[in-house]
Amino acid sequence: MAGGGVSEDGDVGFQIAPMVDVVFVLLLFFMASAGSQVIPRELTINLPSGASASPDSVPKTPIMIDISPEGQVQVNNKPMDNPMDKNLPQLREWFKETINKFGDKDPVIIRPDPQARQERIIDVLNAAAAAGVKNLTFS
Amino acid sequence: MSDELRIPGRKKHARKPEPETDPEFQIAPMIDILLVLLVFFMSITSTEVLQSNDAVDLPVAKEAKEPKKGANAGQMIINVLHNPISNASVIEVDERNPTPNELINTLQAKVASNPQYRVLIRADKNVRYEFMRSLLENIGKSGVGNVTFSVVDKEDTSKKSS
Repeated sequence: MAGGGVSEDGDVGFQIAPMVDVVFVLLLFFMASAGSQVIPRELTINLPSGASASPDSVPKTPIMIDISPEGQVQVNNKPMDNPMDKNLPQLREWFKETINKFGDKDPVIIRPDPQARQERIIDVLNAAAAAGVKNLTFS
Repeated sequence: MSDELRIPGRKKHARKPEPETDPEFQIAPMIDILLVLLVFFMSITSTEVLQSNDAVDLPVAKEAKEPKKGANAGQMIINVLHNPISNASVIEVDERNPTPNELINTLQAKVASNPQYRVLIRADKNVRYEFMRSLLENIGKSGVGNVTFSVVDKEDTSKKSS
């Protein structure tokens, strides 16, 4: 039999087949657990800081995004999307249209309510990143 | 070999080794392997893992980018923990809870030596904006321009409590 040696007096020698089976089981286990792992990602914002502040050339009209404590998002005072909706499809559509029409240089300013949750703010940042907004800041 | 075996015409197999009992339990090789494993795990521990507080429930953002590998030479990881009962948040850096002034001073010192110094904020998803705003103001005062929020790409099913 391949892989196993049985020497003449009946002692069992080195069996490689069970070892390979165990290795495959371990491999499958780690493949399965790696798929369900959460991986940290990052979202960047621009902060107006003393070091990197540059004089504004032509102040463009900023786009104001408000977030209420319940999670309702308003763009230039126009409400968008259900507060429970994490994907914010209307907001993304609106960003895409605005970028298509006016380019992505217009500053987007987010003004969350003091009681707004970080989760909702990240949803808005996520939608902005997906739509390709470059100039994002908090007020 | 004793003489009695050298009788011609009488072949015998080489002398069998005496049937052995099970090999004895040898602890020295086990300790060697243990030390090798220990050294291996020590070498792959990164400081980023040590500075990240596990209690922070990061918000989910599917379109967030992967962290760049080389950018972490100069960064400070700020964990923002949220207490749902008191609705209060607290920041934690390197297992300490610095006051805002301490934070500003530390950041100013770091930025002075490394202009590319960045801050990675690991904020719980339930932290309220008023706390984040004061934190961002303080970070801005220190002169750090590069601020990043840490998020995850999918729901952590193992962390769901209530």
